[in-house]
Formats: sequence, structure tokens, C-alpha cells
Amino acid sequence: MKARAIFLYTVFFLGISSLFFSQQEVVLTIKEGMPAIPLALPEFRVHSSSAEATEAALTIHQIMTADLKFSRIFQLLPESYYSYIRPLDPDKIFFKDWLSIQATLLFVGEITSEKSNNVLFEGKLYDIKGENFIFGKRYQGEKSLYRLMAHKIVDEILKIYGEKPYFTSKIVFISNRDGNDELYMMDYDGHNQTRLTFNQTRDYMPAWSADGKNIAFTSYQIMNAGLYLLSPYEGKIEPISTQGTNFAPSFSPNGKKLAFCSTRDGNAEIYVANSNGKDLKRLTFNKAIDTAPNWSPTSREIAFSSDRGGTPQIYLMDAEGSNLRRVSFGGTYHDAPAWSPTGDRIAYVSRVDQIFDIYVLNLRTREIIKLTESNARNESPCWSPDGRHLIFSSNLSGSIQLYSIDYDGANLRRLTSQGENKLPDWSR
Amino acid sequence: MTNLTLIKNERIGGQMKKAIILGLSGILILFFLAACRAKVEKAPPPPPQVEEQPKVEKVKEVPPVKKPELSEEEIFEAKSLEEINREAPLEMIHFDFDRYFIREDAKPVLAKNAAWLKKFHSAKILIEGHCDERGTEEYNLALGEKRSKSTFDYLVSLGVSADRIRIISYGKSQPLDTGHNEVAWQKNRRAQFVIIAK
Repeated sequence: MKARAIFLYTVFFLGISSLFFSQQEVVLTIKEGMPAIPLALPEFRVHSSSAEATEAALTIHQIMTADLKFSRIFQLLPESYYSYIRPLDPDKIFFKDWLSIQATLLFVGEITSEKSNNVLFEGKLYDIKGENFIFGKRYQGEKSLYRLMAHKIVDEILKIYGEKPYFTSKIVFISNRDGNDELYMMDYDGHNQTRLTFNQTRDYMPAWSADGKNIAFTSYQIMNAGLYLLSPYEGKIEPISTQGTNFAPSFSPNGKKLAFCSTRDGNAEIYVANSNGKDLKRLTFNKAIDTAPNWSPTSREIAFSSDRGGTPQIYLMDAEGSNLRRVSFGGTYHDAPAWSPTGDRIAYVSRVDQIFDIYVLNLRTREIIKLTESNARNESPCWSPDGRHLIFSSNLSGSIQLYSIDYDGANLRRLTSQGENKLPDWSR
Repeated sequence: MTNLTLIKNERIGGQMKKAIILGLSGILILFFLAACRAKVEKAPPPPPQVEEQPKVEKVKEVPPVKKPELSEEEIFEAKSLEEINREAPLEMIHFDFDRYFIREDAKPVLAKNAAWLKKFHSAKILIEGHCDERGTEEYNLALGEKRSKSTFDYLVSLGVSADRIRIISYGKSQPLDTGHNEVAWQKNRRAQFVIIAK
């Protein structure tokens, strides 16, 4: 009886709530997509007695394990399974053995050490069912390159499966760890955090160019918040727009255009320039605030936020500024849209009772998923290049830090800890 | 006898007295004249002294009278921008949550600020718009700009020349109070003034 009453109440409340919200909000965590591919990653064989070779084998294996687990495409076979079969001999692989423990793929790694401070890492991927060699790669380098070697070979595995490689991509963000808000970048997993700017003024809202070679960002110089273009690998900085306050840059995925918000004509409007900052065009003409532009993966549309309807909401428009439509409903504060690389979803921030959470709107089904569930301010969502993960900033721990989370709300990971870290952007 | 002699003496004495009186008076006159001459001769040195002293005193008295007359502008001129900004002659104003219109309580403050700007007509200012932490980074940066713009518009409506004012937004990146309560939030939703030229 009791269970039935609860069920009836639930149905009743769901019915009531659906009257209030034009779109249904799904708070449940949904696991979707294809099942992960079982991959065997046994210990690497070391053809050397040197300590370096042993360390290299362990380190590269460990990083590859983390990458493959993060991918959500592959599922690593439990190590205990390996004890049921004959030990691996890279020269003579018994495919039937690996099939018996339900592996689809087998990765064989070997380490040789010819010179001191230098190892040779060779990786080969086999298809178990077809008993085929799929591909192999060889990398040579010293200790500081082990991490890069592991990321590179996992990227190669992703490419074989038609996925966008991203383990060598970089995340640019703002940190005040050295006393002032400056640009930093790091690997997808939070390693190799490197400072990029030394402006002594406030730097803000960075965005990678489509080719990952340049970063557009706001810098407060001479009483002005100008937009600048930084080439971190060349150490060059060029101004793009320094009239008024200029912020929230977003490069089109085709590499041709740069959208941003500027008050150069007196009000916060959205502008589009060529990716070098030249040939500026204004897209919005509205007394209200128009901000936070973000390109669709086709580079044909732009999502942005505007309070033209009274409260900040998410709108879409064509890249020329026409065909405007509102896509966020059922709330009073929606901002910071991030269009997924798959094109079908938009992540955004919604404020409810002074709490910010990240939601994902499916443009096809109009279904909304609440991605974060915490009594905190979760902000600035940004998709991974493959659209299976997001990074965002949160004051969950008390200070503002960067986190990554999967598209379905699983695997929340903290990436930063020094100072306060915010406004991440993931290179494509 | 004695009486006679006395009378004689008196007579003689009377004549003598007259002569003595005349003589004495003549001498006295001479002395007086001499004294007068001496006084006239001695007098010149003091007067210059007496005249010089007032001159010095006058010179001393004049500058304190002149200084207060020039004071405000001169003091303003003499001070560095940093010193002026430390004194914060322009009071900041506050805004309602998520709003950027000028509140009634901010209008007298802006009227005072406009009066100051008219007095020191060469001064130029920067209006900084700020927000509390309960807005997103992107929207807050635009909201801060709206706040500095409405403050700008109000000052211009009071007769302050637009080319003396620049505006900027810091969004929520520069809170005055880092607390997470209504008191802190109200303090942080503000437009504040920086004097950038005098």
C-alpha cells in the first residue's frame, strides 16, 4: 500500500511539474551510447636490465591505462583475467587465449634501452577475433617525454576507431596562483600546468583557435579591457579589439572566424571578425545584453546568451546574425552556452536559488540533463574535442577549481589545486 | 629792619626774579629748542624701523589670505592622482541584484559627484562597473558594463561632459568584500570612480 501511495504521489508531482515546465527536466544519470570495447593492456615487456627501462614501462603503462579508461570508448580487461591464460609472448601471440578472456583488442608494449636517459617504446595493437595486426608505433625519448609518448599512442588508437584524438590537446585557463589572474595551460588530465602570460594586469576568458596555435583572450590594459591574440609557441601578442570592453571570444571550428562580445558601440553586442581579428562585423543590434557567443560545429550557427526577453536566456542565430530563436526555457537565468562537437547538444549554466549548475540541452529531443548536482557555483562549461567530456569551474571545494566530468554526469575529477582556477577552454 | 630789608629784598628780589625768570625761561626755551632740535635729529632713525616692521608684518599677513582663496584648486593641482584617489572624493554607488538602473539613494550621491566634476573641470574619471558573485562570468561582465554605462549617462544628464568619462567593467572579478552573504553582495554590486587625469 505504502509503495503504491508513493508511486501515486510521484506521478501526481511529475504531472504538476510538467505543467510548469514546458520542457521535461531529467535529473537521472543516463548511460548511453555503444558499449565500451574490451581492450587487454598487459604489462609491457622490458628488454633491458636498466632501472630507467623498468620505470618507463611502468609509467607509460599507467598513463595509457588512465587515458583509455577516460576515453569511455574502451574498457580495460581486469588484470586478474591474465592469470587464466598463458603469459604473453610478443613474438608468438595465442589469440585464442585472449579471446577466451573476452578481449577484443590486445595492446602489446615493449621497452628497450639503448642509451642512458633514453628509451625506445614500441606499441602494437592486435585484433583478437581476426587475429590481425592493426597498427604499430615506435617512440624514442627521455624521461620527460614518457607522458607524451603514452598520450600519442592512445591518440593513434582513437584515430583507428574514427574518434577525434585529444589526449595531446591542451586546456587553457585563468589562474591567480602567482598573485594575478594570468593565462595557464595544462594537459587534459591536469598535468603539465604551465604559465603563458606575464602581464601583471588581469587576463580573462581565453579561447583556443581552431588549429590550437593561438589563444584569444581579454586583458585589462591601460584602463581598457581589450581582446588580444596570443601565439603561445611563438610568444607573440597582437591586439584584436581594444575599443570598449571586449570579451568572451570563440573561434569557429572551421578556423575562419572569431566571434566575441564587445561594448565598442556602447552596448554589449556580438561581433564576428576573421580569425586574425580583421574585418569586424556586428551581428546583434539590441538594447539588451548580448554575450557569450559560441559556434556550432558546422561554423554555420552561433549560440549566445541575451536578456532581451527580460532574463538571460540562450539563443541561436545564423553566423550572419539572422534566423534568431530562443532555446532555453523554464528558468530565469541561463548563460555560457557551449555547443557540443557532435552538434546535437548545448551545455549551459543555469542559476536556481543562487546555485549554478551545468545542464545539457539535447537540441533534437529537447531533453535536458542536469550534469552537476552540488550546492555550489558550477560555471564555464566547455566540451572535450570528442564531445564525451566537459570541463568547468566550480567552488565545490571552497575555492574555484577546474573539474572534468563525462557527458552523462559520471567520473567527476578535480584537475587543479593551486590558487583559484577558472574559465577553461579545451583545444580542438 | 629786617622787614625793610625784606621789602627791599622783595623789590630787588622782584626785579631779580623777573630777570631770572626771563633768563631761565630763555634758557629753557633754548634748552627746549635744543631739545627739540635734538629730538628732531634723533627721531629719524626710529621711524624707518617703525615703518619697516609693519611692512614685514604686512607681507606675512598677505599670503595666508591669498592661500585659502586658491586652496582647493591649488591643493588639487599639487596632489598626485594617487593621493586624490586615496581620498576618494567621488563616492561609489550601489545597485540592486541583477539590475543596472540608478537607484533613488544613488541619485544624490551622483549629484554630489557631478558637482565635484564641475568644480574641478579639468578632471577626467573612469567609472568601474562591478557585480556580485551570483552571476555567471560572461553575463556579469556585460552587467558591470551596463552599470558603468547607466552611471555615465546619469552624470552626463547632470551636465558633465561625456568626453571626461571613460567606462570599464570588471564583472565579478574584483569584489570589495569576499564574503558570501547579502551584506558582501550588496557592497560588491557597485559603480566606483577613479580619477585618471586632473
